[in-house]
Amino acid sequence: MNMKAFKLTWAAAAAVALTVSGCGSNNNNEPATSASSSANPSQSAAATASASAALPEPAKIKIFTENNDAWPPKADWGVWKWVKEETNIDVEQVLATGPESLALAVSSGDMPDVLSVFQNDVQKFGPQGAFEDLSKHMDQMPNVKAYLDSHPDVLSRAVSPNGEIFNIYNDGAGDGSQMVWFYRDDIFQKNNLEVPKTWDELYTVSKKLKELYPDSYPFMFRHGLGTLDTFGPSFDIYPEFYQDPADPTKMKFGLEDPNAKTMVEWLNKFVKEKLIPPDWLTMDYKAWTQFMSTNKSFITVQFIGQIEIMNSQLTEGHLKFMPPPIGAGDKPYLPKGGQEGYSLAVASTSKNKDAAYRYLDYIFSEKGKDIQSWGKEGETYTVVDGKRKFNDNYKEANDLRVISGIQTAATYGWFDFNAWLSLVKPGEQESYVEAPKYRFPVAYARPNLTADEASELSTSNDQIWKFWTGEVTKFINGDRPLSEWDAFVKDLGKHDLEKIRTTYQKALDRQIANTK
Amino acid sequence: MKQSVFHRIKRDRVFLLLLLPALLHYLLFRYVPMFGIVVSFMDYNLFKGIWHSPWVGLKYYRMFFSNPDAWNIVRNTLLLGLYKFVIAFPAPIVLAILFYEMRWKKFRRFVQSVSYLPFFLSSVVLSSIMLMLLSPSTGWVGKAMQTLGLEPINFLQKPEWFRTIYIGSDIWQQAGYGTIIFLAALAAIDPQLYEAARMDGANRWKQTLHVTIPGIVPAIVIMFILSIGGILEVPFDKAFLLGNAGNRDTADIISTYVYRIGILGGGFSYATAINLSIAVVSLTFIYTANKVSRKVGETSLW
Repeated sequence: MNMKAFKLTWAAAAAVALTVSGCGSNNNNEPATSASSSANPSQSAAATASASAALPEPAKIKIFTENNDAWPPKADWGVWKWVKEETNIDVEQVLATGPESLALAVSSGDMPDVLSVFQNDVQKFGPQGAFEDLSKHMDQMPNVKAYLDSHPDVLSRAVSPNGEIFNIYNDGAGDGSQMVWFYRDDIFQKNNLEVPKTWDELYTVSKKLKELYPDSYPFMFRHGLGTLDTFGPSFDIYPEFYQDPADPTKMKFGLEDPNAKTMVEWLNKFVKEKLIPPDWLTMDYKAWTQFMSTNKSFITVQFIGQIEIMNSQLTEGHLKFMPPPIGAGDKPYLPKGGQEGYSLAVASTSKNKDAAYRYLDYIFSEKGKDIQSWGKEGETYTVVDGKRKFNDNYKEANDLRVISGIQTAATYGWFDFNAWLSLVKPGEQESYVEAPKYRFPVAYARPNLTADEASELSTSNDQIWKFWTGEVTKFINGDRPLSEWDAFVKDLGKHDLEKIRTTYQKALDRQIANTK
Repeated sequence: MKQSVFHRIKRDRVFLLLLLPALLHYLLFRYVPMFGIVVSFMDYNLFKGIWHSPWVGLKYYRMFFSNPDAWNIVRNTLLLGLYKFVIAFPAPIVLAILFYEMRWKKFRRFVQSVSYLPFFLSSVVLSSIMLMLLSPSTGWVGKAMQTLGLEPINFLQKPEWFRTIYIGSDIWQQAGYGTIIFLAALAAIDPQLYEAARMDGANRWKQTLHVTIPGIVPAIVIMFILSIGGILEVPFDKAFLLGNAGNRDTADIISTYVYRIGILGGGFSYATAINLSIAVVSLTFIYTANKVSRKVGETSLW
């Protein structure tokens, strides 16, 4: 009896152990099998020879991409099918579930083969050796090389201080992802209101709207302090570091500019008089849509595509692009858009590097650009009178993302924005034509740092960010009187401002010297 | 007759085998990762690994203690943990005694079950509820204040409100569930003691004071010591979810800072150094509390 019980326990324990180890090895095996399939061309070639002789051997890669609620990723998106048809690569998406996902993927040692990354990710992990130096593999990616040669701005952003290229920036769809101003033109017309051209007029018009709709907050935005990046250019600044447009060889910290005070003064006035919702700092997309669709807000700052999305949701009323109001200076400005933040990198630990390069080479090729932007004739579009027309199931531009994954992170390299525009209703095209007219002379960007410089600044950047965001919030909310603004600017120095400035200045000097 | 170790192992093999999974768990997930703390003494590079990253000694410890934000962060963590300890620790004890004294058993069971429910909400859900309730423009609390003729308070953007909200919601979420241990202790009190007390003429309040509370003191002491260690270990999620630029003066705690610097910023060595310093302090707390408790009373952890 005793012996039997013992055996049973042993068997159960063994079973548990087996399942656990089974799971473990299963996970580990995946890249291994795909590696062996690409490393073993004879076998796999034989398998596909009948299917298509022209295609290279099959491969499988994992791609790290965004996880956006507005276009939830699907494994059967057309974009992945076309990749398979053109390159014989099976793609498995690995989704970013939060801002820490990439850091966790990198530190786990199990990175997906291709990763969509931002500049600061590359800054952090590139010099440590997380990503492959792509400049050494250009012979395998002639199309990527041609792309970079024809896009010197993309190239200069991508080159690290030591001459490596860890990531290739996307291009083409930047105009679809910029922040713009828009307003309810029907409400303005109904009440005979003028579109504000300055912040002064923005204030008077908001006051009037508040009188007309007492329970409204006429002006609203949903990106909290991040919206200052869009307000800033109205006042000829960006909040933190950027290249000074007056002297592009110098780095400038926007909050030190007297105009920053004017901007904050205005916002403080708006909050005090309840023209902006009191919880402006913590508004989310849901709250924003609620306000915009229930006549609770009439003027806003949001991504350009939201104008059309909201217009199709509004049961009554209409939203229209608004030129940015002037806060200081004499020209209305939006942040310099057109550039894309997303870029693609290849994991240095990948076992499928050849397939990864093949993937990059495809999406940055002319053919890849066309297919990944438009899909395929007969499948997604037809040609009518020599012009391409998307099938009827794509009702608005965003459906390209939702249905087929077109223009979502990592599915394209070089986008043909005409594909997107072709689905934007004629009445909505205006914003895409207008927005580029208001570009601020310089982009809100910092030069690339070396690994040492970046690690020097890791805590300093957090320090200054924590300090200024906290204090500026207090100024806007009226918890700190604006008479103390000068003291605040002085205190910036106590939070490593000079150290950060010198470091970026050094990086900028180096970048300028390198491009000469 | 003294048995050899081998003999005893053989005799208790089944029990030892039952212990094995838990032991393995601790070994694999608690003890092996402890070697990771060496990265706090190195300039850790993910791809060079532990064996090839250069040693830097106490560089990151010095960096933390010379950081002007460090004091604020430690203070926030300490105060939050301390308030939680002082205010939230007694809550389940009081609640458990109230439950225990309740005469109508059906009602008691109902209230008990309801009080357990919030415990099963994740902190993400809890924080969203707080954000919605406390929004000055759309939240119920703001609306209620307005109908009372008060100006709605912007609770979540005011540093002075953060701790109240944090601890208040903590009590709401955990007090009910926390009663379970104390109720178990209460159930173990010998009914004869109450009988004797009544014979001596003690009323209900006196019975509570002289029988009930002394009866659960050992449980209280053990829970007390255990939670002292937790004072500095304020969990990350709620502080992160409720924190913003407006209330960061009080809401930025060690774990949110470590998340920003270590995980978002990729500064693994620095973040490890901070966490290790905190763990050492926590250990001192527990050790001292246990020592005091052993001297004063007879209950202690070890």
